[in-house]
Amino acid sequence: MEIYRHACPRNCFSTCGMLSYIEDGKLMKISGDAKHGYNQGRLCAKGYAYTQYVYNPYRLKHPIRQTPRGSGNWKRISWEEAYDTIADKILELNERYGSNLASGYNKFSGNIGLLHYAVEGMFNSIGPHTKPIGNPCLITGERAMRKSFGQMNSIMPEKMAEMNAVVIWGANPAVTNVHQMKFILQARQKGAKLIVIDPIFTRTAATADIYIQINPGTDGWLALGVAKLLIESESYNQEFVHNQTVNWEEFHQYVNEQVDLHEVCSKTGISFDVICELVSIYSIPKPCATWIGFGTQRNENGGQNISAINTLALLGCHSGKGNRSVYYSHNGIDDFPVNLLNHAGPEHPTVQYSREININNFAENASKLVDPPLKFLWIALRNPLSQDQDFQAWESLMKELELIVTVDLFMTKSAELSDIVLPAASHFEEMDLNVSYWHHWLSVNEKAIPPYYEAKSDLQIARELMKKLNDRSPGFSNFPSERKPIDWIREELTPSVKKLYSIESIDDLLECPRLRTEEVTKSSSSSFKFRLFSQGNKGTFTNSFNRGKSDVEESYPFQLLTPQSLLKIHSQYEALPWLNQGAEQDVVELSEYAAEKNGILEGDKVELFNQYGKIAAIARISRFLPQKVVLVNQAGKNPINRLIVQKPQKNKGKSSMNFYDSSVNIRKWCENDG
Amino acid sequence: MMVKQMGFVFNVDLCFGCMACEIACRNENQTDSTVRWRKVSRLTDDSFLSVSCNHCNSPECFRVCPENAFTKRGDGIVQINSDLCIGCGLCIEACPYGAPQYDPLTQKASKCQMCYPRQDKGLPPACVESCSTEALTFVDLNIFCDKKMVGTIPGFPDTRLTNPSIAFYPAIERNRYFLKSSNK
Repeated sequence: MEIYRHACPRNCFSTCGMLSYIEDGKLMKISGDAKHGYNQGRLCAKGYAYTQYVYNPYRLKHPIRQTPRGSGNWKRISWEEAYDTIADKILELNERYGSNLASGYNKFSGNIGLLHYAVEGMFNSIGPHTKPIGNPCLITGERAMRKSFGQMNSIMPEKMAEMNAVVIWGANPAVTNVHQMKFILQARQKGAKLIVIDPIFTRTAATADIYIQINPGTDGWLALGVAKLLIESESYNQEFVHNQTVNWEEFHQYVNEQVDLHEVCSKTGISFDVICELVSIYSIPKPCATWIGFGTQRNENGGQNISAINTLALLGCHSGKGNRSVYYSHNGIDDFPVNLLNHAGPEHPTVQYSREININNFAENASKLVDPPLKFLWIALRNPLSQDQDFQAWESLMKELELIVTVDLFMTKSAELSDIVLPAASHFEEMDLNVSYWHHWLSVNEKAIPPYYEAKSDLQIARELMKKLNDRSPGFSNFPSERKPIDWIREELTPSVKKLYSIESIDDLLECPRLRTEEVTKSSSSSFKFRLFSQGNKGTFTNSFNRGKSDVEESYPFQLLTPQSLLKIHSQYEALPWLNQGAEQDVVELSEYAAEKNGILEGDKVELFNQYGKIAAIARISRFLPQKVVLVNQAGKNPINRLIVQKPQKNKGKSSMNFYDSSVNIRKWCENDG
Repeated sequence: MMVKQMGFVFNVDLCFGCMACEIACRNENQTDSTVRWRKVSRLTDDSFLSVSCNHCNSPECFRVCPENAFTKRGDGIVQINSDLCIGCGLCIEACPYGAPQYDPLTQKASKCQMCYPRQDKGLPPACVESCSTEALTFVDLNIFCDKKMVGTIPGFPDTRLTNPSIAFYPAIERNRYFLKSSNK
């Protein structure tokens, strides 16, 4: 049995080291890589199911084409034919419009390995085109972190095990970051308290010593309330405040005059006694980890919430002095040149730049493009018809497109509406380099097995398609098609990367994953200055959900929360029998209040609806949900995102998607209107 | 008495129902999709239970099998010899823990064998290896002893019939503050 080293490339905190066991070119089983210091030889349930992912009967084997689009009338085609069709379209559009702006892509996080920036590299290589910018997931919080700390604040997550307390605001590692739980529970076993603040009584909340339920989107109110009490009782870190903050006077005045504890209690729904309990946690002069989950920033107040929590964390626990134990995310990728992403394409005589569209309103904005309109769309590493908002905008965009190509391992909702679908390789079938957005380990991913039937990696597709374009029109693309995956990886391992990870070459990574050397953070020096919460231009928090009593809010009184489920990542893993026992139906969780109000019983078929559409689901009544919250997991046969439509964002690419600012109503299913 | 009695120890307080153990078992044994040698289930609203074959001291499967397909090894592991199994399903009905599973492919019963091929090589069972918080461990129950450990927990089937080789650490109490507007 041969053994190869891998990194799980999913959009997940853990980016686990894994080993594959290969016999006669076949993947027999998987294990965690014991040499990886974060996952330490273990995987999650999804990771252990990879044999069923790779050899799944639903996996796409060959390039396929359907005519007409959406008919389901799929025919197998050769890679040659696929490349010819795509190259014809790109060249014809270029001729028609005089540039490649009519060609574009939509790509996100289906595989976060560095070589999957081949999609961007491929489009860059044909000069100015149409591209998405921004990040639907975490950028609001990232910007808030940078504003507070002046840079990203990134501490090794393993260090959570040494904390005196761990306070989690709106993250659910028991579902989304299983391996972090061992560090948290290690701290707990040494006597640390685990505190979870979340509107949902999650699996993580259930393990907490103290669980505090909060109204969604009001975390900032709570943080400021606790901060006010810390200041009043003078149990905050005064030395830090006086030496290393820039706006203490302003903040102090704001908290004194504007933060009213009665209002804090009423907005957050948390009683004064419980707020005091949190004050006592944050006033212990010992290291305390504050983990801010992405959930806190999926609403209009996201940035302000995080700024307020950062402020509380730095005031309390005396954590400001050289120990800024606030966890959000780690920008591991910033150390790398990411040559594929940053590949410089040929210049165009008249068009200077690519056309950038905010990824969060991609379909709506793409539909509005003129001179030229968008006509060819490449969808890779993403399933927008399940994960994006505003499906109607997508459906109308698709009507305008002349060619849609989707690259995926499975027939996703988006693939179903494409003209050509190309089969993608799994990470066992390609080489890659992986860093995490959470921990500080670097891994190489080896190719262990031949591609499944005719599957190809994104990089291989880029190499071949760009060569095809150049054969037809010499010099059309400047993609270095001759460059192999290992060449791209070697180029990423610059002298500074090698120093940072104490490696001499890729061979060291084949031996074991490597930990990034810890930088001496600026916070320990006196030059570090922290920016305390400030009201900003927006005024105080808008309580986005209960803002007013408009007609829309009267009609749709429930706030829709759509967190990740345990055995999927977005719509990935849906086809794996081990992870999907029995006939899974879409389930909606609702409060006893909502059930009673609408005459709904456990197990009833119900309809979740708003002005954008409706979906059917089976009701599960929860004793633990806030009255006016309904919870639906993502993806499935009728993705819940059909009911999520966000207003256009003005600050292009600078906010995450406010998924949780969505309202719906619920009623019993009525066959007649189904 | 066996020389050894290897048994699982399950710490309710450390389990958050991630199901890694259940799928790690499938990965190791590549069992059919309907065959669940280990099962993670909800014990209460906020706690979980992970159970496989408990390699009982008085195994009912052993007693009811008409073909004498079950044996108990010197280390206490209860094995099933699939060559002898005729797929009658008596063991499946008799076991209080749902351990033997009917495999539609082989038309025989199969069950957790505590990864004895791994144990023989000095490795822990796959489920134990996969548990990131060490909520699931395994010990020789003939010699291991801990005052905090208990023989059963509420929600676990009656242990008197088969004397299962499993022990538990119960959950520790927690403070929970629900919204007043919640139904609590």
